Amino acid sequence: MPTRRNFLAAAAAAALTPRLTWADAGGPGYLAAARMPGGDYRLFGLDGAARPVFSLPIPGRGHAATAHPERPEAVAFARRPGTFALVLDCTTGGVKARLESPPERHFMGHGTFSRDGGLLYTPENAYEIGEGRIGVWDASAGYARVGEFPSGGVGPHDVARLPGGDRLVVANGGIDTHPDTGREKLNIPTMRPNLTLIGLDAGILEQVELAPEMHKSSIRHLALRGDGLVAFACQWEGDLAAVPPLLGLWRPGAAPVLLLTDREDIEGYIGSVAFSGDGSRVAVTAPRASRLLVFDADTHAHVETLPIPDVGGVAPGAGTGGIVVTGGEGHCGAPGALHRMDLAWDNHLVRTGGPAPGQG
Amino acid sequence: MTRILAILLVALLPLRAAAAEGDLVRAAVEDQILPGFAALAEQAAALDAAAADCAPDAPALRAAWNATFDAWLAVSHFRFGPTEVENRAFALAFWPDPRGSTAKALRQMIASRDAAVESAETFATVSVAARGLYALEQLLYDPETGAADPDYACALTRAIAHDIAATSAAMRDDWEVRYAGLMLEPGSGGSPYATEDEALQELFKALSGGLKFNSDLRLGRPLGTFDRPRPNRAEARLSERSLRNVRLSVAAMEPLALLLADGRPEIAAELMEKFARVAERAEALAGDPAFAGVAEPASRLRIETLQQRIDRIREVLQLRLGPALGVAEGFNAMDGD
Repeated sequence: MPTRRNFLAAAAAAALTPRLTWADAGGPGYLAAARMPGGDYRLFGLDGAARPVFSLPIPGRGHAATAHPERPEAVAFARRPGTFALVLDCTTGGVKARLESPPERHFMGHGTFSRDGGLLYTPENAYEIGEGRIGVWDASAGYARVGEFPSGGVGPHDVARLPGGDRLVVANGGIDTHPDTGREKLNIPTMRPNLTLIGLDAGILEQVELAPEMHKSSIRHLALRGDGLVAFACQWEGDLAAVPPLLGLWRPGAAPVLLLTDREDIEGYIGSVAFSGDGSRVAVTAPRASRLLVFDADTHAHVETLPIPDVGGVAPGAGTGGIVVTGGEGHCGAPGALHRMDLAWDNHLVRTGGPAPGQG
Repeated sequence: MTRILAILLVALLPLRAAAAEGDLVRAAVEDQILPGFAALAEQAAALDAAAADCAPDAPALRAAWNATFDAWLAVSHFRFGPTEVENRAFALAFWPDPRGSTAKALRQMIASRDAAVESAETFATVSVAARGLYALEQLLYDPETGAADPDYACALTRAIAHDIAATSAAMRDDWEVRYAGLMLEPGSGGSPYATEDEALQELFKALSGGLKFNSDLRLGRPLGTFDRPRPNRAEARLSERSLRNVRLSVAAMEPLALLLADGRPEIAAELMEKFARVAERAEALAGDPAFAGVAEPASRLRIETLQQRIDRIREVLQLRLGPALGVAEGFNAMDGD
């Protein structure tokens, strides 16, 4: 016989349960933008085997997306210097909201959610003063803009949240741009990229720079492992005859460690970085060299290099050392089981709704 | 006999094709790059000498500055290797400058009588915004900039001219001593190019990037939007070189484009026609050297047409020449982000 107390508890639970979870979107999957054969752009939701589940048109070239930690919802960002981002319902592929960057700010193509999913953080360029900002949006209130704080450098590109709390790692790429001059790089001689660790209540907790002779190594992309290990990938703006290692691992509190020291030819450019789903490996894409490079995330040993045309996106996959990749010539899937679609996948592949790499 | 000849020819064909790529790179280096950078260094040395008379309106100084700028435009699309070492290209040609850093940096140096002008070594470490051709333009063509302190402005003019000469000589020397060899011997130790294909791709990228710079920045910046044209953003508008720079820079790229189209007469003919149409339109704009006309619908249309005609060349590169050379750029490889 139901007691009054049980009844109230059941009613409260019922009021909460209608909230959809990632399971309602078919479980973990991926998001990636693409250019279609007709020259238009679409955003795709993909299943675990990188087969399309839904797609919808987007107004211009996309870049990356970020998935809400609980709700089957993701935010897809326009390509830098874009001023829009779309909030997507990943169960239907419908657009739930559209973000516009505020005056004198533009998005950088990336973003991440707070631990509870209540806030969205977006790296932005405060271009009239040439400084980086992290924009803050209220994901529980229709994505209203609620504030911003300094990113700790110039040209913040990617942002990621450290597991277990609300500390953000920002890749301040160091490159100053202004939308009036498109993507023209304005400060290569003096660029100073850094990694900045920001505590949301405490401000900047830690910053690391690479050695002075590597100041033209723009730190642009990040991947996080479940235990807090940060992988960062760079793009070299200096002499191609002297490319330094462009992949690094960083544990806040310690000095970053650089990989790729055997100077594998990647033409000075890494497109994306990801840990494997089990966290054992770290993979980077080198689209200019059409190569995927895989390293052991703990011993730092080079595991393999695979040729994949114009490979850009990489994300955690299933199984031992599992990753999934996408390429500009339409290839997608696990590197050993690629299929091909008639489109050009854009730079990034983002996993939705899965556990953090190494915690699955 | 005929049959033997045919077999021989078939056997020789791949060899010939492979040799041709190396020949193209060699021709670009020896006929265009090396003489071009040598001419730049020579003009810049003459500019350094001409700065003995440092009055902003001294005819010899202005003529030498213009000749150096012309010489830079003849090679400015070769933005790789020696131009990128030690920030040389930035130090010689710091533009675009959306925040007006050049004027700001010069004003600061003048106001503080910055002692950096006294030593070439120290001057080479000042902000690139205060160095190079655009900084000198500011001093020569904006009478306000140095008016408050003509003595210091004179020293600054000489320091910039001397620094331009040093930077230009460094580019030339680096090409002659180091980089020409690296380009001509791909796969050798220290060469950034593993194959002749990669060296050829570098030249193709230089060409396509150079055209893009003219279309997107030299023309795109002053054009702004129809509702908001930005004539004040024209490059080198103080000296009214804006149109001249587009004209010379695009014209300088034609020999490279035709070289890369060597052996493909149809593509070469199409390129020649498209380059001729750019030159023709630039000629017709002669009455508007600094693109002031972007603000008036009729004259704006003529400037937009110039931009479109440059873009027609770019299309031939992307759709025909690139694929023919096998150097088409990937969607992600080209993105740069």
